[in-house]
Amino acid sequence: MPRLLAHLLLLLALLAAPLRAADEEQDEPAPELAAPPPDRARLVAALLAPAAEQVAAVRALVGAEDAAIEPVLTAWRAGELFLVPLPDGTRVPATLAPAAAHAPGAAPDQLVALAVADGRPILAPASTADSPEPNVRNTNIAPAPLLIASRQLRPLDTSAPLRRAIRDVLEVAGVSDPRPHVRRESIARIGQSHKTEHLPLLLARLEVEKSSVVLRTLREAVALLRLSDPDPAVRAEAFVTLGDVRSLIAAARFKEALALPVGDPSAPSAADAVGMRRSLQRIEGHWARVNFAGNLFRGLSAGSVLLLIALGLAITFGLMGVINMAHGELMVVGAYATFVTQNIFVSVFGAGSAGFHYYFVAALPAAFVSAALVGLVIERSVIQFLYKRPLESLLATWGVSLALQQTFRLIFGPANVQINAPSWLQGGATVADVAFAYNRLFVIGFAALVVFGVWLVLNRTPLGLLVRAVMQNRQMASCIGVRTTRVNMMTFAFGSGLAGLAGACLAQLGNVGPSMGQLHIIDSFMVVVSGGVGNILGTVFAALGIGTVDQVLQPVLGPVMGKILVLFAIILFLQWRPGGLFPTRSRSLD
Amino acid sequence: MSAPASLSAVEPRFFTRTQWAAFLVPTLLLALVLPLLNAFLPADSFLRPSDFTLNLYGKYATYAVLALGVDLLWGYLGILSLGQALFFALGGYAFGMHLLLMIGKDGQYKSDLPDYMVFLGYKALPAHWEPFYSFPFATAAALIVPGLLAFVFGWLAFRSRIKGVYLSILTQALTYAAALLFFRNDFGFGGNNGFTDFKRILGADLSSPDTRRWLYVASVVLLAGVFLLYRWLTRAKFGHLMQAIRDGENRVLFSGYATARYKLFVFVLVAAITGLAGALYVPQVGIINPSEMTPEKSIEAVVWVAVGGRGTLLGPILGAIFVNALKSWATRAAPELWLYILGGLFVGVVLLLPGGLVSLPAKLRAFVARLRRSGDVPVADASKPSA
Amino acid sequence: MAHPILQAEDVSKTYDGFRAINALNFYLFPGELRTVIGPNGAGKSTFFDLLTGRAQPDTGSIKYADSDAAPAIDLTELNEYEIQRLGIGRKFQTPSVFAEHSVHTNLVLSLKGPRGVFASLFHRLDSTQRDRLDALLKLVRLEDKRHWKAGLLSHGEKQWLEIGMLLASEPRVLLVDEPAAGMTDEETHRTGELLLSLRGKHSIVVVEHDMTFVKQISDGGQVTVLHQGTVLCEGKFDEVQSNPQVRAVYLGRGKH
Repeated sequence: MPRLLAHLLLLLALLAAPLRAADEEQDEPAPELAAPPPDRARLVAALLAPAAEQVAAVRALVGAEDAAIEPVLTAWRAGELFLVPLPDGTRVPATLAPAAAHAPGAAPDQLVALAVADGRPILAPASTADSPEPNVRNTNIAPAPLLIASRQLRPLDTSAPLRRAIRDVLEVAGVSDPRPHVRRESIARIGQSHKTEHLPLLLARLEVEKSSVVLRTLREAVALLRLSDPDPAVRAEAFVTLGDVRSLIAAARFKEALALPVGDPSAPSAADAVGMRRSLQRIEGHWARVNFAGNLFRGLSAGSVLLLIALGLAITFGLMGVINMAHGELMVVGAYATFVTQNIFVSVFGAGSAGFHYYFVAALPAAFVSAALVGLVIERSVIQFLYKRPLESLLATWGVSLALQQTFRLIFGPANVQINAPSWLQGGATVADVAFAYNRLFVIGFAALVVFGVWLVLNRTPLGLLVRAVMQNRQMASCIGVRTTRVNMMTFAFGSGLAGLAGACLAQLGNVGPSMGQLHIIDSFMVVVSGGVGNILGTVFAALGIGTVDQVLQPVLGPVMGKILVLFAIILFLQWRPGGLFPTRSRSLD
Repeated sequence: MSAPASLSAVEPRFFTRTQWAAFLVPTLLLALVLPLLNAFLPADSFLRPSDFTLNLYGKYATYAVLALGVDLLWGYLGILSLGQALFFALGGYAFGMHLLLMIGKDGQYKSDLPDYMVFLGYKALPAHWEPFYSFPFATAAALIVPGLLAFVFGWLAFRSRIKGVYLSILTQALTYAAALLFFRNDFGFGGNNGFTDFKRILGADLSSPDTRRWLYVASVVLLAGVFLLYRWLTRAKFGHLMQAIRDGENRVLFSGYATARYKLFVFVLVAAITGLAGALYVPQVGIINPSEMTPEKSIEAVVWVAVGGRGTLLGPILGAIFVNALKSWATRAAPELWLYILGGLFVGVVLLLPGGLVSLPAKLRAFVARLRRSGDVPVADASKPSA
Repeated sequence: MAHPILQAEDVSKTYDGFRAINALNFYLFPGELRTVIGPNGAGKSTFFDLLTGRAQPDTGSIKYADSDAAPAIDLTELNEYEIQRLGIGRKFQTPSVFAEHSVHTNLVLSLKGPRGVFASLFHRLDSTQRDRLDALLKLVRLEDKRHWKAGLLSHGEKQWLEIGMLLASEPRVLLVDEPAAGMTDEETHRTGELLLSLRGKHSIVVVEHDMTFVKQISDGGQVTVLHQGTVLCEGKFDEVQSNPQVRAVYLGRGKH
């Protein structure tokens, strides 16, 4: 029940809060409401133990599975842990925190005490009568937290041996932390520390560890520590293990060791060198494959973005022969439509609410329709007069694009607007060490879907038949009774709508600003040209190809040089195949 | 297409007597009278063009040369190149290198090296900069560098018969790539900021009215010369061939002409001359940076031509002056409206006045004639698109 | 027999899986006027494209030999303007003249002479060329319209202008694609007479549909029938006309 209440309160608060709140909400630690783990009692006992027994009690905490150990011990060492006296005479170990978060209406300088035992604020006793200490004031309402005016409590003492013990425990505390990512970090740290004395601890953990990810780190750490083992057989096994787990750290160390000149006292023995080389080969081979796969994936997603943008162009330019320089701006219309949809969802459902995260589902049709409408207006007002004058359609639509950019500036301001990805597009999955970001996966899937949709529309609907008829021969189509004006309108609006979809997608990947369209227009024209004008399949191949080549080149050459190289490569490619990948042949003289 | 074919069947005379007058009077007025008035009239005389005006006109003259090149390619040869600003800027950069070296130790860092090199930690002048101490070399480079780039690109593009819209898109991509390159600091040409803070040219102080007047005269003379050259080109059999290539390249090919060579010749010639105009532009505005070589700038130059009237040699000059005058007015009077005005100009000219400003008198005459014929009631809008 | 001036052997050309020309053999002899007929899609225009460098054959050879003594030149290696300069001129199916230029300029641009960039820059007409232009204008009956924009001419006049342009370049071989299309009967007949008068001086290939016209110009010469990209038969007009295969192709087009 309190959880529900808390969520409702949070929701209400956020309804009034600006968009950014969505981010903050995720950073806030979840209140610790479940029952404290069994090892917590040992921690509390250690804190309350007589000074003489504290060192031993603290050292005994090694291996305890409790996430609180690290912050509490850290606080203790830093002198920020207090024993709060209660009216019944007991003293409760606690840390102090600003009261505002826990007790609404508290003054900014007031503090509450968070008990180590359960992480919850210590509540003030029901009676207001006699306070055990003058600086602790009680409030009247029964279940309210105990408010402390200032830091008049004395911090819990530490001695030098105790601090050492705390440090030692802290060093390995993470190994048994219940949170896997903390365990991994901690284990990895120990693995790199060269401190063989932690080996038994890691080996003990190896017995009980269940998470496969942590297990891999654990094996890596153990093997790393064993690299300095005097027994060559143990070392040889460590080499193999490190090769098994594809340890990058080991690879760096091996390289360093192998680079040492012969005769150097720390140079590896011949047998070790062999083991290292073999291991190194496996590791580097693996990571080269992972990098390649990662680049391929990123390239595929970059290509999919290009594809989304270029698809609309493939229709308006490739099929209709209209050079629409305002295509980029139609994309921006889609992006801003996404922005507006997001804002509507924020004001209706609240930022960060479950409903909010589905705004993108609504944004896609909104982006398509709004861009299609703007496209319709452009077609009716400008392009319909220019079907026979492609070069001039280039100029006129460039003019349109300038006007649209200025309009964006006037409506949405010159700066980029913030668009928050819905939760289901954040994060990613790692498969065989290759990271797959969800938003990239989404773009690839979405592009595939859109390509399929376009194919369906063009090849399986009456509209598609009309479109192809009109695009092949406007006059002839008109003669046999096709309403070419209407088909032109619909086709152009369809191509524009696709640009809008691309904009909505792009809004999830990068900045949305008034001049964003200009960044993509040249690339996408190049895609259509190299794919072969009038051929959707060519556009698909060209977009994916260019996107991938770009991504593979970028880490080597840097983002700008990579782009320049791709541009020149396309220019040269067109030398070889002037008609693009899939040229359209014509028998007429010009 | 709507380009007029003012082709007489008889071998055309270069200029009739009236045409000579129409050419010489404004040329002399601009190249001789205005500078003299500026130099010798008292500052408060209303007849005296201000230093600022001369400088502005000088800038327009270099723009007009750029526009003439766009027109020769587009209006006569049918190549809509969106890379002309690149050639203009390359000429500007080549000459800018010379001007930068001429600053000597008067820069901010009091070093022999240009300021940005000091800032980026160069120890010595890169070897390829050395020859730019020479004025003739820098001037030649302003011609040759754009010409060479045009040659390489044009050779590749024309031999594989890339034309029309595809060529436009490729030139645009080329310009885009070059701009990206020049925006980088490590490309070695001052990155974003380009070259600026020039002090002197041929030993003369660049900030003095005298020097600026000479630069203005040089710009007008260049414009007049380029006008004559292009006039000659378009009158000769060569000109007929250019237009024939524009209207039906394959037919020209089957008539035995290597059209690619013709196109390459014009493309390279125009690029070199445009580069020279860029070289004159830079000392007058005092700065050259990569934003001058963007595709947007190229397209703007195309608009000057469209507005003035393509396929004529007067049109681009009028268009360059008209649009830029409008720009300097609008960016001061209503900066947030400028893009709307420019955008509207693009759309309006293309849709309503495909022949540009130069076609306006004829259109008006036709309109008036029609008014007369049909009494006082206008029957149709004379400015309706013809195609 | 004399050496052929044009010789195409075993030529094939495929467009996107469609065999436009299939193992074609064709020989043209100096001074001959050859008529090529065939139903639509028989590959007539594609054949001209291959001869003039507009397309390259997938297999086979196309050779040109100016005289018996001259070495044969492989046309498949050359492009359009190189082939034109060898002396092989082509008139297109749809009249293609420079519509924005005057009739006179159209002819000037087609006159035989150097074709280089600088030659064009410094070109001036000499008196021989002027006379030649006048003669050509007279021949194609466009003297009165020499200052007209070519685009304003009628369809038939454009055909004539294009023939004039072809003759202006003084080719050895004329490839004429449907010269009579769009002409009145009288114009067609005159065109036929013109072509017949060129026989002997030039080697001519005429592609035509109009059987009356074909009959007129074949005048004892060879007629080649193309069908599905290959030569169906060759012979005198009467022989061809009575050939059952040809009749089947033209009349009963059902069995392919």
